[in-house]
Amino acid sequence: MTASLVAQVAIGGLLMGLVYALVAAGLSLIFGLMDVVNFAHGELLMLAMYAVFEIHAAFGLDPLLQLPLVAALLFGIGVAIYRLLIARALGVRFNTGMVQIFVTFGLSIFLVGAAQLAFGSDFRSIDNGVLSGRTVHLGQIVLPLPQVAAGLVCLLAFAALMAISRTEFGQALEATREDRDAVALIGIDRDRIFSLGWGIGAATVGIAGVMLANFYYISPTVGSNFALIAYVTVALGGFGSLAGALVAGLLIGLVEALTALFIDPSLKQVGVFAIYVAVLMFRPRGLFGRL
Amino acid sequence: MIGFGRKLLLGAALLGMAGGFAPRQAQAAPPDILIGAVYPLSGNAAPIGHDAQQALETEAAIINGHHDVPMLLGKGGGLPGLGGAHVKLIFADSQNNPQIAQSEAQRLITQDHVVAIIGSYTSATAVTISQICNRYRVPYISAENSAPSLSKQGLTWFFRPSPTDNDFTKAMFDFYAAIGKKTGRPVHSVAIIHENSVFGTDSARIQTAMAKAAGIKVLTDISYQASTPSLSVEAERLRAANADVVMPSSYTSDAILMVHAMHDAGYTPKAIMAQDAGFIDPAFIKAVGPLAEGVMSRSSFSIDAVKTRPAIPAVDALFKAHDNGKELNDLTAREVTALQVLADALNRAKSTKNTALRAALRTTDIPGAETIMPWVGIKFDKTGQNIEGNPVILQYQHGQWRTVFPFAVATAPAIWNVGK
Repeated sequence: MTASLVAQVAIGGLLMGLVYALVAAGLSLIFGLMDVVNFAHGELLMLAMYAVFEIHAAFGLDPLLQLPLVAALLFGIGVAIYRLLIARALGVRFNTGMVQIFVTFGLSIFLVGAAQLAFGSDFRSIDNGVLSGRTVHLGQIVLPLPQVAAGLVCLLAFAALMAISRTEFGQALEATREDRDAVALIGIDRDRIFSLGWGIGAATVGIAGVMLANFYYISPTVGSNFALIAYVTVALGGFGSLAGALVAGLLIGLVEALTALFIDPSLKQVGVFAIYVAVLMFRPRGLFGRL
Repeated sequence: MIGFGRKLLLGAALLGMAGGFAPRQAQAAPPDILIGAVYPLSGNAAPIGHDAQQALETEAAIINGHHDVPMLLGKGGGLPGLGGAHVKLIFADSQNNPQIAQSEAQRLITQDHVVAIIGSYTSATAVTISQICNRYRVPYISAENSAPSLSKQGLTWFFRPSPTDNDFTKAMFDFYAAIGKKTGRPVHSVAIIHENSVFGTDSARIQTAMAKAAGIKVLTDISYQASTPSLSVEAERLRAANADVVMPSSYTSDAILMVHAMHDAGYTPKAIMAQDAGFIDPAFIKAVGPLAEGVMSRSSFSIDAVKTRPAIPAVDALFKAHDNGKELNDLTAREVTALQVLADALNRAKSTKNTALRAALRTTDIPGAETIMPWVGIKFDKTGQNIEGNPVILQYQHGQWRTVFPFAVATAPAIWNVGK
């Protein structure tokens, strides 16, 4: 095993980790804001990927150029999900926790079924984008350009999210997160903050979806491949923490890749979940979580 | 939503009334014969399940209709042995999950009273379906499950017209020996990569044993979890091994990822010899495009064997009409054949009673020319395994699958880059 192979695998793992992190960021944001676990998060990723595919097929617009478009689309979908479903689920008087779980879980099943009906169950992929199939050579290390670009865009998205959290809106988000009843007293429209939170959360996963569509296959069930990892990432990084999602995503990508290289590829999830269990045992609030 | 629901109800009621007023046939036709089919109609393997559904419906249309296809029961008009009764398929969705496959099979048997079940694409689901069929004493026709261990469960209601991964893998190594002799560039090493359920594990075990027997080195044997988010490390390990032939046993989504990952790693294997499954799925070819060029796969079907199997064009055309212009492939052809075998047994049994049907299945003897498969024929041994099914090796050349081995039935010479 050469040093360049290890480096190559490690960098590949970190790049994948950035995508995991961005997928998890949206989930973490929504959970941190209103204690709702969105079980349809992976399906939002799937919707974004299909949006990219369909727009690409219809207008030939390169996936990269679709970034703002699909992010805006997903923002709208996020807001709609909040207004039509979540706001109602929050208003239920009894068994609120269960209702929230079932609403998003049901939404996930619905979206998978709807996608299969609308797009068919075949696997799709975009193989003639600007980035498709290109590689970057760094000495002996070969990196696929779509994944390098995905990593960079994910980092930029994180920077944007961090910047948002410093604005007045970000502070309103934070205040709502800390005490959703008290903010109403100082004139913050809680409903508006929540729906914007859902919008941003969905737009984030939309960006991840656009970048993934450059190198990953698209199918109605593609979301579930990433959703499980996203939940682990959020729990590992700490609920509601952006920095936590970033660090945890990178860590998971790296551990996954190195477990596959040094131990056995079929055990790569074991490495990830071993860390998860360890965190649950010794630091249940996650690496960056606040109580 | 309520309005929509009401409309649906109203529509259904109207349809029912229309049916009620339709003129009745003068003489009561014999009742349809119900046959269950368990396939993954949703989830990751849904494209395969969907194609299987269309393939089985195509064969049912051939048996029931009047398409006059030159093969056994190709004349149409139902099953003569049962007074022209039609076969009717009832599909159940396994979601590619062994537990769900089992409960769906049970439902088909106990509630729909199907006379037999056909399934199920993945070997992992076939394990549970075949066992439940055995318990209820209903024949299970395994159309395309290839794990050899399925025949070794001691089941007496299990029948498999298709060759197993044992036969398929033997064909691969026979091919290596033959092409080595022909070109003077033999295979010295292979790299095995497989998903870690029944199919992949069985396949890899046989490949390792046969490689050893053939004196070919296995440089690496990689097992991975199916539907993984990334196969790039696996691709790196394949690149590091740099074997003469990469031998994957993978389902569609992983096959797509793997080929992309190898490409991204800047690695072009000298040869890929796939254990069918994902690599032969039209969705795979569509998704990876030119990267599929040169891929070889074992197969039990060759679409270009038209000379000796005159039924192929007609069946293919009917299937295309059913399934959006998709061409018959190794999987769908075997599904067509599975229903043909079952219908033939029903026809000869002249009864839908389970014991009579099993007795008829056991005495099945269909010559290859009466099917669309390139096999010698179909004849089951004691374990329910067809002993006359012989596989072929296909290669994807210039945008289509060509038969390259055995040389006697080959329609194109193999493109062989090993040792160059």
